[in-house]
Amino acid sequence: MKFKFLKSPIMLIMPAIIAISIVVIIPLIFSFYTSFTSYKLTRPDSLFNFVGLRNYERIFSNSEWWWTYLRTILFLTIALNVELLLGLGIALLINKITWGQRTLRTIMMFPMMFSPILVGFQWKYIFNDNIGLLNNFLYLFGYESAIAWLIDQKLAMGSILAAEIWANTAIFSILLLAGLMGIPKDPIEAARVDGCSSWQVFKHITLPFLMPFIFIALTIRSLDVGRAYDIVHIMTGGGPAMRTELTWTTIARIGYKDANMGMANAMSYLSIILSIAFTYYFFTKLKASRQELGQ
Amino acid sequence: MKLVNKLLVLISAISFSFSAYAVDKSFPNDKVTMWGDFSGVTLQVKLIGGAPYEPLYQEMIPIWEEKTGGKVEILSKKSHFELDKEIKQDIAAGDLGWCVGSNHTSFAPQYGDIYADLNGIVSAEYLAEFTPLILEHSTYNNKLVQLPQHSDVSNLFYIKSLYEDNDNKKNFKSEYGYDLTPPETWAQVKDQSIFFADPPNFYGTQYVGKEEAITGRFYEMLIAEGGSLFDDNWNPTFNDEAGQRALQWFKDLYDAKAVPAGVMNYLWDETGLGFASGTVAMNLDWGGWAAFFNGADSKISGDVGVIRAPLGSGGKRTGWSGSHTYSITNECPNKEAAASFIWILTNHEAQMHEARTGKLPTMPKVWDAIAKEMNDTGNVFMAEVFSTFKTSMAEDAVTPPLIPEWIPFSNIIFPELQKAILGDKSIKEALDYAAKETAYMMEDAGY
Repeated sequence: MKFKFLKSPIMLIMPAIIAISIVVIIPLIFSFYTSFTSYKLTRPDSLFNFVGLRNYERIFSNSEWWWTYLRTILFLTIALNVELLLGLGIALLINKITWGQRTLRTIMMFPMMFSPILVGFQWKYIFNDNIGLLNNFLYLFGYESAIAWLIDQKLAMGSILAAEIWANTAIFSILLLAGLMGIPKDPIEAARVDGCSSWQVFKHITLPFLMPFIFIALTIRSLDVGRAYDIVHIMTGGGPAMRTELTWTTIARIGYKDANMGMANAMSYLSIILSIAFTYYFFTKLKASRQELGQ
Repeated sequence: MKLVNKLLVLISAISFSFSAYAVDKSFPNDKVTMWGDFSGVTLQVKLIGGAPYEPLYQEMIPIWEEKTGGKVEILSKKSHFELDKEIKQDIAAGDLGWCVGSNHTSFAPQYGDIYADLNGIVSAEYLAEFTPLILEHSTYNNKLVQLPQHSDVSNLFYIKSLYEDNDNKKNFKSEYGYDLTPPETWAQVKDQSIFFADPPNFYGTQYVGKEEAITGRFYEMLIAEGGSLFDDNWNPTFNDEAGQRALQWFKDLYDAKAVPAGVMNYLWDETGLGFASGTVAMNLDWGGWAAFFNGADSKISGDVGVIRAPLGSGGKRTGWSGSHTYSITNECPNKEAAASFIWILTNHEAQMHEARTGKLPTMPKVWDAIAKEMNDTGNVFMAEVFSTFKTSMAEDAVTPPLIPEWIPFSNIIFPELQKAILGDKSIKEALDYAAKETAYMMEDAGY
């Protein structure tokens, strides 16, 4: 009887269940519990100070948080769209190359190899209003005013987006290039024989084949951008005046600097909803595009 | 060319040149020594890192290891803000078996009772060598939880030649109606900053514009304007007229483009390097930059003056102050070795080593010794620096409230200060909002 139990399927997957419980489920349950407490990192005894929904009530009535939430959605939307367009363009161009493609693919991936902290410092220096490369470059052409790239209401977010897009567009390019390489040649050649223009071939054959790859790339990047922190933290710290504040810069400040981990965890769970929503949307689209291809 | 010059200043700052004086390993000026035989002891420490702090460690740690037989294992070496986060995580995880940590009088109240009372661990004779007021600031809940290594207070550095220029004198007098001399009040700093400013090539002054840095700057301006952060019952009062006047000063300079456009993202490195690049007329800064401002790597070497921080309209000078310190954890398994280690980082010889770069000593006799050394070696500028900073430490220095809520309070108010300066909110709206949120936070904390 004992031997039979050990052979059961549950026992076979038990190591995986234990590992996932330790690494994922228990921390999730713990952090979810702390979101209902006034837990402060510097006062471990506050872990048992249950405050019910107070943290969530305060978040729901905090207009600054909801502006930050909207700003994060906007940031996500712009970053994903620009990265997609640039990544698709780069992938299409590289796919056309018949000599040196491997070298170009490697060069294209260089920005991905930098740590986000290094990328943040690099772009912070480029956009520095006083000693930055960009303003000094503009001075060479007679521009007489110091542009406050990391201060101005619109430019600050644009500057961070530039850094984020520079560092991560290659992810789209690589995934879409893989998709382009997998497209069968026959339908394209048949279309050309039938007199289709390059645009018609792209729109009616290449793009539908690429759509599953596009949605996979969008899903991966939406999860990444949704928890953007390092680059923003280094370049502006979410400021000035919260102009570049995203959900995770707020959460990190409240969690670590204020040591208010209960509130930070409540905010984290609300932030996760954003990532789940984007992932769900892209997966629905992925399923539809695969069905369209008959997969 | 401008870019190249600035880059050179930036690069040279990283390789900050410190004193050529060697430490006398016999420690002749230390009445109290705390050597011991710590063979086999490995002391785990977490220290503040960065160019200004490294030379002391490089000098003193090998001496301590050689003389005591102990070993120092540096678990972390980070900026103070990063170290602060790490220590908070250690408290949450109960991971406090390490022995010595860098600390600061403004940060210490946050850490509860993790640090040992140094009374009894460090001899009373040694403690008697420190300035009593600084030891008082190092005390929390009646426990001396830290030993001060050096103190902070800021005074005004300025480019002397600007004030000696006859055209400047004539034009300033005709425009503002009084003589151009190094400013005595913050109102004069504003006038002169606007007068000197020629953006984007030259600015009148600058200020640190984010995080605790701008909170502290606002705090000291508030005091100088005759205001206070809280009343006796810990109700916020910084949104009164004094607070509004203090914040208006920052906004006026920003609106007049008398400060660099990016100041709202500046911290101390940016202001220090900016002044040394010769593109800013006046700079309120701590003494730690003094040797660099007047050193070979600075564009204004030989042209730097220093005066006490100016007066606000309340008749007080600004003097936001605190001390960099070392603490010993309660769980440290060998407190005697730890005490010996913090002794070597804070003793007379260590403080002289640090003072030669402009850092402010925490022992009265080191003040006298460094002033004498600078006079004897003909270093008129550094002698003036120490004379000025000694006066301001004695007469102007004021710490922020030494409560655990200082950093959370700062995180509430600094975005509001920025919003007012940038014009996203009116000054009153911003301060009122910060006061309301601060009141909630203080209430939650049990005040």
